[in-house]
Amino acid sequence: MAVTPSAGRRPHGALEAEVLATLAAAGEPMSAADVQRALPHDLAYNTVQTILIRLLEKDAVQRRPLGRGHVYWPRHAEAAEAARRMRATLAGRPDRAVVLQQFAEGLDDADAEVLRALLKETP
Amino acid sequence: MTFAVYLPALLSVLLVAVSKAAARHTSPAAVTRGLTLAAVGAATAYAACLSFLALTLLDDLPPLAAFDHLPGLPKPVPGPVALVAAALLGWGAWRLFRDVRTRRDTHRELRSAGSPGAAGLVVADWEAPHAVAVPGNPGHILITTGLLRTLDGRERQVVLAHEHAHLRHRHHRLTALAAAAAAVNPLLVPLRDAVAHHAERWADEEAARQVGDRGLVARCVAKAALATRPQLALGGASVIGRVSALRRPAPHGRWTRLAGPAAIVVAIAAVTATAAFEFVAVATAWLHLA
Repeated sequence: MAVTPSAGRRPHGALEAEVLATLAAAGEPMSAADVQRALPHDLAYNTVQTILIRLLEKDAVQRRPLGRGHVYWPRHAEAAEAARRMRATLAGRPDRAVVLQQFAEGLDDADAEVLRALLKETP
Repeated sequence: MTFAVYLPALLSVLLVAVSKAAARHTSPAAVTRGLTLAAVGAATAYAACLSFLALTLLDDLPPLAAFDHLPGLPKPVPGPVALVAAALLGWGAWRLFRDVRTRRDTHRELRSAGSPGAAGLVVADWEAPHAVAVPGNPGHILITTGLLRTLDGRERQVVLAHEHAHLRHRHHRLTALAAAAAAVNPLLVPLRDAVAHHAERWADEEAARQVGDRGLVARCVAKAALATRPQLALGGASVIGRVSALRRPAPHGRWTRLAGPAAIVVAIAAVTATAAFEFVAVATAWLHLA
């Protein structure tokens, strides 16, 4: 696999963020090898291991021994609390949603159709 | 006072129309910055001219009211016009106050959702698909498991790169300035929306540069939007515009493309200066009497 074009200019902490996002997306504990496979980069196993240890030291993830290594997962209590606060801030508050830089807003049915059609044409 | 004082409002409408055309082939970074600047300039001029009009109400107050019927005094604008100007100014101030408060409260509450730590990322265990750049020092990303699970590894990289671009370029400042301008001068609301849209485009282009694949970013934006429930619908046109733009070659047009909006901003500045001189002339004449 080729190194991504951006390998040299990735912002500080971006790899940590990607590893944490990967663990959160999995929804189950992952070993360093699992994380390495799930990432789109050509990262060395040791690099992944180092990032996981760093996240562990910062209390962002937890781990337990499994086989000869460890499996890692994000801290559930923090994620639940974040969700509670995020929901309280945003749910049913369109005035607040519009002031944010959100990745994608929802669509109504007609717009969703347009978008699906557009996607079919996208290579 | 002559017609100059009314022109900034009219020119704001023209600015909105011209900006739409100018933005089409220009790089989103230049459009976002340029339109923010234009909006702030137009709103400032609008507020200044409304203030000139509203301040002429003072001639109806004592002691100036006593001189109201003296001959040879420059006639300010009719009372009802001044009253409408004062009402518009008050309405704008109220909208500005509300916008600033909503922005501040929302950002403060989202900042308290969790501590980002080394990764600069807070994950919320919520099925609704959201990713938000939370401004701060240095700012962080707040993302839900609902969105993370919809995406694969490369798409997650796109979302993170997109939100990092917002934080790196402090897009929240530009969008807040444009929103403040539109709060003061509601004619600029389309400009506020254009700035918000082009800030998203800017972050999309940065993400595309980072992952080296515009098609991937287009599919990722579409996927996230389609996963969002319709009751949260806010910006269908914006998402479709972003996906369409990503399917075309990256726009490279620079500042020069924004000459049209820039010319109108210069015109707005000129008529506002004229209005200011006229107002000063009226005010001095009245103050000499008092």
